[in-house]
Amino acid sequence: MVDVSQHELVPEHTVLDDPDRVDEVLAEYNVSKTNLPKIKSSDPALPEDAEVGDVIEIVRDSRTTEQATVYRLVVE
Amino acid sequence: MSMQTPKEIGGIQFGLMDPETYRDMSATKVITADTYDDDGYPIDMGLMDPRLGVIDPGLECRTCGQHSGSCNGHFGHIELAAPVIHVGFTKLIRRLLRSTCRECGRLALTEEERDEYSEKLIRAEELGNDPNDVLKSAVRQARKQSYCPFPDCDGVMHDIKHEKPTTYYEVQDVLAGDYSERIAEAMQPDPDDEDGEGTSPRDLAEAVGVELERINDIMAGEFRPKSDTRKKLEKVLDVDLTEEDMNKLMPSDIRDWFEDIPDEDIEVLGIDPARSRPEWMILTVLPVPPVTARPSITLDNGQRSEDDLTHKLVDIIRINQRFMENREAGAPQLIIEDLWELLQYHVTTFVDNEISGTPPARHRSGRPLKTLSQRLKGKEGRFRGSLSGKRVNFSARTVISPDPTLSLNEVGVPDRVAKEMTQTLNVTERNVDEARQYVANGPEGHPGANYVRRPDGRRLKVTEKNCEELATKVEEGWEVNRHLVDGDIVIFNRQPSLHRMSIMAHEVVVMPYKTFRLNTTVCPPYNADFDGDEMNMHALQNEEARAEARVLMRVQEQILSPRFGENIIGAIQDHISGTYLLTHDNPHFTETQALDLLRATSVDELPPADGEEDGEPYWTGRTVFSELLPDDLNLEFRSSAGDTVEIVDGQLVSGTIDEDAVGAFGGEIVDTLTKVYSETRARVFINEVAALAMRAIMHFGFSLGIDDESIPPAANEQVDDAIGNAYERIDELIERYEADELESLPGRTIDETLEMKIMQTLGKARDSAGEIAEEHFDEDNPAVIMARSGARGSMLNLTQMAGCVGQQAVRGERINRGYEDRTLSHYQPNDLSAEAHGFVENSYRGGLTPREFFFHAMGGREGLVDTAVRTSKSGYLQRRLINALSELESQYDGTVRDTSDTIVQFEYGEDGTSPVKVSSNDDNPIDVEGIADRVIEAEFDSDVEKERFLGGREPPTNLSEYAGPGLNKAQGMEVESDD
Ligand SMILES: [Mg+2]
Ligand SMILES: [Zn+2]
Ligand SMILES: [Zn+2]
Repeated sequence: MVDVSQHELVPEHTVLDDPDRVDEVLAEYNVSKTNLPKIKSSDPALPEDAEVGDVIEIVRDSRTTEQATVYRLVVE
Repeated sequence: MSMQTPKEIGGIQFGLMDPETYRDMSATKVITADTYDDDGYPIDMGLMDPRLGVIDPGLECRTCGQHSGSCNGHFGHIELAAPVIHVGFTKLIRRLLRSTCRECGRLALTEEERDEYSEKLIRAEELGNDPNDVLKSAVRQARKQSYCPFPDCDGVMHDIKHEKPTTYYEVQDVLAGDYSERIAEAMQPDPDDEDGEGTSPRDLAEAVGVELERINDIMAGEFRPKSDTRKKLEKVLDVDLTEEDMNKLMPSDIRDWFEDIPDEDIEVLGIDPARSRPEWMILTVLPVPPVTARPSITLDNGQRSEDDLTHKLVDIIRINQRFMENREAGAPQLIIEDLWELLQYHVTTFVDNEISGTPPARHRSGRPLKTLSQRLKGKEGRFRGSLSGKRVNFSARTVISPDPTLSLNEVGVPDRVAKEMTQTLNVTERNVDEARQYVANGPEGHPGANYVRRPDGRRLKVTEKNCEELATKVEEGWEVNRHLVDGDIVIFNRQPSLHRMSIMAHEVVVMPYKTFRLNTTVCPPYNADFDGDEMNMHALQNEEARAEARVLMRVQEQILSPRFGENIIGAIQDHISGTYLLTHDNPHFTETQALDLLRATSVDELPPADGEEDGEPYWTGRTVFSELLPDDLNLEFRSSAGDTVEIVDGQLVSGTIDEDAVGAFGGEIVDTLTKVYSETRARVFINEVAALAMRAIMHFGFSLGIDDESIPPAANEQVDDAIGNAYERIDELIERYEADELESLPGRTIDETLEMKIMQTLGKARDSAGEIAEEHFDEDNPAVIMARSGARGSMLNLTQMAGCVGQQAVRGERINRGYEDRTLSHYQPNDLSAEAHGFVENSYRGGLTPREFFFHAMGGREGLVDTAVRTSKSGYLQRRLINALSELESQYDGTVRDTSDTIVQFEYGEDGTSPVKVSSNDDNPIDVEGIADRVIEAEFDSDVEKERFLGGREPPTNLSEYAGPGLNKAQGMEVESDD
């Protein structure tokens, strides 16, 4: 099986496992978790240990800026 | 006159309405189906009862005491003789019937399941998913139950059958009528089994555990076995003794059932029990809409014509009454049920007359009635037709035509339009004389006035007769609706409005004749041409709208397109040919000629001459062009013609000014002026370039004739040779193919390889024909000038006209369709040659042969079909995109969110910048260096300059071209940079 998450076109997905970091992110954007964009828990780009309810940090190359950081909430 | 204070809507709640609320809000009970009596007075407690509001002017409302116009009308009500189902809720009713127990009314879910679905519902709402999906799965789960899960009830859960639109059946398994025959048949010996003996009644009685006598009675059809006996019989004999029985649920049964459903259970199904009870979906009271919602009209012959809703209400009341009378008279159940169904039909069609499976209620003329649903639904309905889109006043539409003397900010408005559309002038002590003059000019004179409004609110029409007299009465505090005059701001639009620049604000210039006039440089943003295009104009009606239009919507504010971040307004077509002629060969002009070129610009003094020729001073084209540039402009870029354009200190040193310099869609100079200087400077520049280019092209003269596409006979022979060569090579290819000597390309069959090689050879032949033709065109050939400068057309168009049209294609292949094994009956079957498959060796100028013409039409048709399909497809795609993105908004914190505050982008465009506010070039997405250079330059300037820089000067964008100070200021900025 090909591990999609290792493909060069798939950006880095990391679980924010520190609750303080999650709170920080939520505070920065003044949102609740559910107002973040979503990602399905079945998404092959997710790391193994991602669980429903986790917040994922994705750092990807951008056409308009060097790197763009986005956050997503893992849902069923 | 007392006006109601405006109220603010805090929120809207949707739910079911309590029948008691219907009664409470009702102004009267309606019991008579009649409307007016013989004297034309509305009948009391009839459908036109004066308590329901007034429509006739002069009458007083019996409920609120107001007159028609101020009284909004009041609801009445009809007490229905029997409950009926509301068609709008049939799906929800079905869901409730299927998921609750008839015996106890409780939701047939266990405690755990109930909690699970409650939680899922909350989660779905949080995540913005569709709660309906959860509800559906909850119902599906509850429906699986065949018995009520509560031990204290244990009622049977029958399946519910829904017969559209409003009939529900309980499906029960009951003993079949022919049960005795079925038993007897099952007791016969199995015909496939030779040793089979069948079942004797004695065996059966033993197996079932019933007395033999009873079994005999059953087999004789004299006794109907009870359900437990029946089940045992079925088990022993392996036979089905039941049939489905449909027990119709009357609306009253459903209502009783729903009354038993506890509040907690409704909540699981997503209904708020505090506001809505499910039994309210079964109507016992029908609200009667106010007369103002269904006004009757008086026809010319004095007859009254009633609204469709009134007709429907008449039907309902009639049936309602007959129902009651019959019931009181003790009519048979059958008749009662028929009347009940009829009542249901009328109430159903009153709500929605387009239910599938139900014949629509019709008017006497046969036209289907327009009832409640039909008023709301569809394109012409209340939502799409009256709320989202309305017809508006103060708008005009006519054909457009070009006027190069206008500024791109302006629009020429026909005087007859200007006299129809008005602007409100509030009369003050400072404009009272002006206002009186407008009124004195009357409605026919321009600029005149159509109406005045006195301080007491009275509106008076200005007529030719009263205008002189009325003018003397105009005082401070009056309002005068004056005609549009030069300098007024209006909104201008061309459909389809595909982007922001399809609606822009223009300043009015009142003109004679009947068309709207616009500067040709605004054609690209509107995608307009003058082959009969029409455009719409809207006159703005309040100061706020006018200010916003001026600051945000004026054409010059739209020079940069948010689509690609460069200018979309600039020189087009002949403008570009003009600047090309002016600058490419850098021709010399005498003083008179130079002044004539610049006469339509604001330049009224020539710079020092470039030199002398025959004792006369001369000016070069580039010098003349440089007069339009700001004096501190420095630029270097490649032109479309291929040379390097160099601008040093506002002087065009070398290069050709063409599409890449001044054109719409990213002309370098226009783009830089807009971004670095100001929109106003760019507007002035575009206007002047267009004017200069028109003078230039008229100076040189520019025309295109048939001879401009011809090449010498020698060149023609060369072209023929090139094509002949290609034919030979193709013949070789075909020979090798037929001899099976052709090697196939990787991943292709031999046939495909041959096709590809032939296409390639012919493509090369056309190209070389084009090259030969190109060599023989003069540099000053008008078609060449247009192609090189980017004004219009391409070299390909030219080679097709002069050299060879080339291969015609359908679906990217040579033409292969038509007859069996050949394209036309003129060819041998399986002829693979170029000419048999649509190669046109002639040029457009030389003329096509009939067969070539036919092939050309085949290819041409594909082009037409493609464009037709593409426009409709892309239009729909655009609509869907707009609908999907319309509610996204960039927030103050830089994020992009939808209406429920869900983040779509963490930073707008990921870089948080607007494409029109960013300066860029090809190497760097953002021209940081350029910006830094300019900042540093500003640092080194004098202190005064620096202070002004730090103080931040706002570009004077909101100034009219007609306002003297505005023009001065815009020019003032240039004067300052001069020294
Ligand atoms: Mg057109
Ligand atoms: Zn009233
Ligand atoms: Zn029950």
